[in-house]
Amino acid sequence: MAAKKKRTRGRGKKTARRNSKARSWWKILLAGAVLAALLVGAYSIYLGKTVRVKFEGKRWAVPARIYARPLDLYAGASMTAEQLQTELRFLGYRQVGDVAAAAQWARKGGRFTIHTRDFAFWDGQEAAQAVVVDIAGSEVRRIRSQSGGRAVDLLRLEPALVGSIYPAHNEDRVLVRRSDLPDHLVNGLLAVEDRRFFHHGGVDLRGIMRALWSNIQAGKAVQGGSTLTQQLVKNFILSPERSLRRKLNEALMALIVEARYSKDEILEAYANEIFLGQEGQRAIHGFGLGSHFYFNRPLNELRLHESALLVGLVKGASYFNPRRQPERALQRRNLVIDRMQALGFVSPAEAETAKQRPLGVTERGAAHGHRVPAFVDLVRRQLRRDYREEDLTSEGLRIFTTLDPWVQQQAATQLDRRLASLEKARRIDRESLQGALVVVSAQDGEVQALVGGRDAGYAGFNRALDAVRPIGSLVKPAVYLTALARSDRYTLGTLIEDKAVDLALPGGRRWQPRNYDHQLHGEVALHEALARSLNLATVNLGLQIGLKPVITTLQALGVQREIDPFPALLLGALSLSPFEVAQVYQTLAAGGFNAPLRAIRAVVDAEQQPLQRYPLTVTQAADPAAVFLLTRNLVEVTESGTATALRRLLPAGLQVAGKTGTTNDLRDSWFAGFSADRVAVAWVGRDDNAPIGLSGAQGALPVWADLMRSIDNQSLQMLPPTGVEYHWVDRDGRLAAEHCDGAVAFPFIAGSQPAEPSDCLQRHDRGGFLRGLFD
Amino acid sequence: MSKPNWRAGRTLLHLAAIGTYAVLLTACGGLGRSDRPAQVEERAPEVRAPAPESGAQVAAYRPPAPPRVARPVPNRAVGVLMRRADDQRRAGDLDAATVSLERALRIAPDDAVLWHRLAAVRMAQQRHDLVVQLAAKSNALAAAGDDQLRGDNWRLIAQARRALGDAAGARDAEQRAAALR
Repeated sequence: MAAKKKRTRGRGKKTARRNSKARSWWKILLAGAVLAALLVGAYSIYLGKTVRVKFEGKRWAVPARIYARPLDLYAGASMTAEQLQTELRFLGYRQVGDVAAAAQWARKGGRFTIHTRDFAFWDGQEAAQAVVVDIAGSEVRRIRSQSGGRAVDLLRLEPALVGSIYPAHNEDRVLVRRSDLPDHLVNGLLAVEDRRFFHHGGVDLRGIMRALWSNIQAGKAVQGGSTLTQQLVKNFILSPERSLRRKLNEALMALIVEARYSKDEILEAYANEIFLGQEGQRAIHGFGLGSHFYFNRPLNELRLHESALLVGLVKGASYFNPRRQPERALQRRNLVIDRMQALGFVSPAEAETAKQRPLGVTERGAAHGHRVPAFVDLVRRQLRRDYREEDLTSEGLRIFTTLDPWVQQQAATQLDRRLASLEKARRIDRESLQGALVVVSAQDGEVQALVGGRDAGYAGFNRALDAVRPIGSLVKPAVYLTALARSDRYTLGTLIEDKAVDLALPGGRRWQPRNYDHQLHGEVALHEALARSLNLATVNLGLQIGLKPVITTLQALGVQREIDPFPALLLGALSLSPFEVAQVYQTLAAGGFNAPLRAIRAVVDAEQQPLQRYPLTVTQAADPAAVFLLTRNLVEVTESGTATALRRLLPAGLQVAGKTGTTNDLRDSWFAGFSADRVAVAWVGRDDNAPIGLSGAQGALPVWADLMRSIDNQSLQMLPPTGVEYHWVDRDGRLAAEHCDGAVAFPFIAGSQPAEPSDCLQRHDRGGFLRGLFD
Repeated sequence: MSKPNWRAGRTLLHLAAIGTYAVLLTACGGLGRSDRPAQVEERAPEVRAPAPESGAQVAAYRPPAPPRVARPVPNRAVGVLMRRADDQRRAGDLDAATVSLERALRIAPDDAVLWHRLAAVRMAQQRHDLVVQLAAKSNALAAAGDDQLRGDNWRLIAQARRALGDAAGARDAEQRAAALR
């Protein structure tokens, strides 16, 4: 080296000087390059780490998904053809001529052919199967397998997805795997976004040149040169600012991502990250959710034209929004199909067929919380007791609920309709009435439907849970139940006094309640007082038995709020939400067995492992015999008492029990009642608590009746439990017999029937004999 | 729409149930034996059901006057779930048996036998408080004259009360059971 130097130096001063200059330049360049390489290297390591953290940690917060109850089908199940059709639509099954694949159905009259999907339930897998379901009238006649005609005793359809609990940043998504992506979806993406995806290394120089060229030709930016990898980096890792630095970062990271991950991994991440729509606060991310959001079915069931629509949205989800801008969306979709054809992904014939199809999007995002916001709200509140908010919004939990989507739909529809017609008929300001409906199953307390107000599809004030209003006469059954449980003193026939009440209240004020009709009715039979909802008789009865026992009864029936021991309690000076009222009436409907109202059956984690189950529990809260007498009395309310209006609103022969409730100045209109299998509570009022001019029988009752008429109900059978006997009683409440004039058979708790015989018995000289029997 | 068929169906249901019921009680004793020897003694009186073929037991479970069947009763669906619950229970998966019985109860919510069987599974799970309640529920729904079922419920209640340390309550329940024999 030294000799070389010498030799060079010896060649002459000029050359030497030039060489020396070049050498120093070269040195500087080299140093610069090394420095730059070091910097870029260090920077790349830093970026690489960012990429790794993003890619290898939990990539996305996956919101919990909420499912409705699965539909059990079996011979004998109550089911109309209309309902079954609706249920299949909820599931996004396709109606076809001939059923050939999963998630398809066909109908001929009452005969349905259905091919179910596979589904992993909390208690095991339900395999896809094709069945023929015959429906006659309003029930399932029989179910057979499509091939072979083997009888199917019990069929469970998958549950409909009704919502999700997404995190505060409002990104909702359903994760998909690379293998879930249909070929035409991937091909469509390649065709319009990045045709050399499988060949470039993250940045596509040819693509950039081509984009540049078309932009120059068009005189504006018509094409982007970003690869799918760059788009992914941009959305997934970087902030949305626009700058040269960011562009460089993006390119560098794209190269890093490509070097580190396979094309399939990149594609999968892209498919889950991409933004595809907005609904209110909620951002729709990924093709998995996009498919549910626009078509209400899973991604792998999409056809060419549907995939092409989703691909088209990548360019601008709001600009090409198929629900708001169907024309634009159609053009964009067809452009995607054209490009696919140009690149040979689809044949001209396939392309033509696909382009002829309508957009096919569902009316509103079907599989999301906005359809049943009030119910999802309830689910959330019940979950919050057991889970952290963070787990709910990010762990991909699956929540199986008790929601009956059919009942829910009927409840929401009937409330809207009836309130509108009430406003019209009674000249009430339009849209001024509000309401709420709660439906629960009678024996096990499962919440089947919850409507928080009109336009139940939109989230808002959840009146079913949060409108805490005085319950008025809905409290009376608790007063009468307390009395009837003391069979030594009270029976349905016991005479009580409907006389004026005047009580001194603390602070020198007086309490002078009145009857609804402002009359005094003197001595009335206990059952009549409740059937006619007489205020004064009820207050007198309540004061006789005492406020404390009444409060104890209310608590046993399920009221958890503090109850003030004021006499006005006896007339309903107790504020509860419709949901809380439903709990009280559930206990009555179940013969005195309180089943805590549940909205959730089970929670499973992302790997389908059961995390928690919410089992059926019951607690005996009241004597079944006394509850039976009360129920008999509440049936009387609907047959000849304050709720007689039900008779012309309900199907003939459907026996139900219920109670009207009205509060001061007609501010709240209530109806609570039950059939053999369902309990429903309706409330009608105004959000500003102003009088609505409707009593319980005028407002909430017709809402309740409309709902019950639109869903199937088992009639109350009124089979007396042990300890209850029927006895004939005459008009004066004395023991009689069937042949006696005007005698009525009443249920009594054994031993509490009247001892004194009716004249009729003495006349027939059988009194002594009968008395001997009963003594 | 009418209800009586549910109760009518119970007759058939009982026919199907009684066989598995015997097995259930036997299995119950078997489970108890491996886990808790003390329980076997208490359960022993329950394992009195004769072989499933016996007609005498069937008669005892029949409600006094089965009403006419107005429409197909979901016997078969409930039967499928009852058998499944038995299998699950025999396999030691008590949670799954509970799930199957709860599902059956959604189909036939006022079936006293189903409530009783749920109580029996809960007994095997040592959920004594719940056993008392579920058995009482079964009793409230039991058809008049179904003394066999009532007796079984009272025996479950006695067992659960004893486990809860309520000796007097247990004796009372046993007496009620004995009175129904």
